[in-house]
Amino acid sequence: MDQLLQQFINGLSIGSVYALMAVGYSLVYSIMNFSNFAHGGIIMLGSYFGFFLLTLFKLPFSAAFLGAALGASVLAVLVERIAYKPLRMRNAPFLYFIISAMGASMFIENFVIATIGPTFRTYPAVFSRSPFQVGPLFVGRLDTMIFVTSAVCLLLLVYFIDHTKMGKAIRATAFNARAAALMGINTDMIVILVFAIGGLLAGIAGVLFGMKYTVYPQMGAITIKSFIAAVFGGLGSIPGAVLGSLVLGVVETLVSGYFSSQFRDLISFSLLIVILVFRPIGLMGKPAEEKA
Amino acid sequence: MLEVENLHVHYGGIHALKGVNITVEKGEIVTIIGANGAGKSTLLNTLSGIVRSSEGRITFDGSPLPTAPHRIVKAGICQVPEGRLVFANLTVEDNLMLGAYLRRDAPSIKRDLERVYDLFPRLKERRKQMAGTLSGGEQQMLAIGRGLMSDPVLMLLDEPSLGLAPILVEAIYEVIEGIRRIGKTLLLVEQNAYKALSTADRAYVLEQGRIVKSGRAVDLIQDQTIQESYLGVKK
Repeated sequence: MDQLLQQFINGLSIGSVYALMAVGYSLVYSIMNFSNFAHGGIIMLGSYFGFFLLTLFKLPFSAAFLGAALGASVLAVLVERIAYKPLRMRNAPFLYFIISAMGASMFIENFVIATIGPTFRTYPAVFSRSPFQVGPLFVGRLDTMIFVTSAVCLLLLVYFIDHTKMGKAIRATAFNARAAALMGINTDMIVILVFAIGGLLAGIAGVLFGMKYTVYPQMGAITIKSFIAAVFGGLGSIPGAVLGSLVLGVVETLVSGYFSSQFRDLISFSLLIVILVFRPIGLMGKPAEEKA
Repeated sequence: MLEVENLHVHYGGIHALKGVNITVEKGEIVTIIGANGAGKSTLLNTLSGIVRSSEGRITFDGSPLPTAPHRIVKAGICQVPEGRLVFANLTVEDNLMLGAYLRRDAPSIKRDLERVYDLFPRLKERRKQMAGTLSGGEQQMLAIGRGLMSDPVLMLLDEPSLGLAPILVEAIYEVIEGIRRIGKTLLLVEQNAYKALSTADRAYVLEQGRIVKSGRAVDLIQDQTIQESYLGVKK
């Protein structure tokens, strides 16, 4: 029983990072109706930013963390301006967006391999590795920090989307961009805003992920997990992306803990197929014309 | 107040508007009638900046109309689109407040919100409901109310009676007259030519991208060819 709870806590920690990645994915999907495959590249770059700000520039952790998030945010917007905006301006079919996204993703990955190098790097130990004890459970300091940081970011995001004028403008644009434009909403600004938010969360996720594991040019591939989580929860739905991510994180850790870590991805991808076959709109997804 | 001169619009390969000239004066209700595909919605969407013109000039209040949709709203032109396009995923009140998206003056926004609720008491009853749960007539009221919240000088209405029961059509047209009484100018696009002509001051007839007839609405409603083509009156 204790072991189950222990695994559950680890699962929530990793699931919360998936959630940070998945909501960025979902936000962009809700506005632009395509899967932004370059998101993984932004996460990876955020992770490198954090790493170099800590090791090369010797910044304190909080400054490095903030710098990584802002840097990733700026780059996410830059990718939109270069790879997607020209397509938006001439109403290109969505397939073009996906191809452009894949191109951007490969460019970012290979650019990093060519300039920084293909080696794995390890974050300096910012948090003590020794866990603290809550009753019979041992909880890692880093895991706790990851979960709390992610939860705070997600709560702020949900508040922003649900209760501010800008957030409502994002939802209106997601529902119908033309009607939003007719109300005086600058939909191009909304696109920038959505990429900036997605990039910010990607940068944060990149640092958290880099601290828990390592930093390497292909780490963006991890977003396939957040993609599964976003589909599981319902593409375009933010609460759905969060729920899907937490479920996926917990399922993965339980599978690794009780069977074998080799089964982990097998189970995740089977889950994706089962969802697509039996409930394609996901747990909390809405029919296409009512996406939020 | 609004002058459209020699407006051409190309949609891909289609020449949708072929040199349209119209004017709208302050305080008027002007209607554009025409069959499906005549270019009525294209004209309104060009005025709103959703569609780009390939040639021609649009002047509003003496200066050229901006091209970006949000700047056009800021300049005082607001469109109530065909099919209402209310934000079904937001509450009625959120929809109305998004109509006032570009405005900053909280007291006057609040005053206009009350005015919309006076005009449509049903919306006040349902202000916390999701807009998607409203009936078609209520959604049309919401779309008009949302448009009013931008405090426009000129309101463009695209097929406000489309798909509504006759009794609701009457109600919507009463509202349109009410909007004129509070000092707004209206440009109304309709397939329901009889209703539009009996409400408007002046009218234009659009056929295949060209204005083929214009004049006072009371004259056009008596016009024999218009009666035959648009009002279903047989010789």
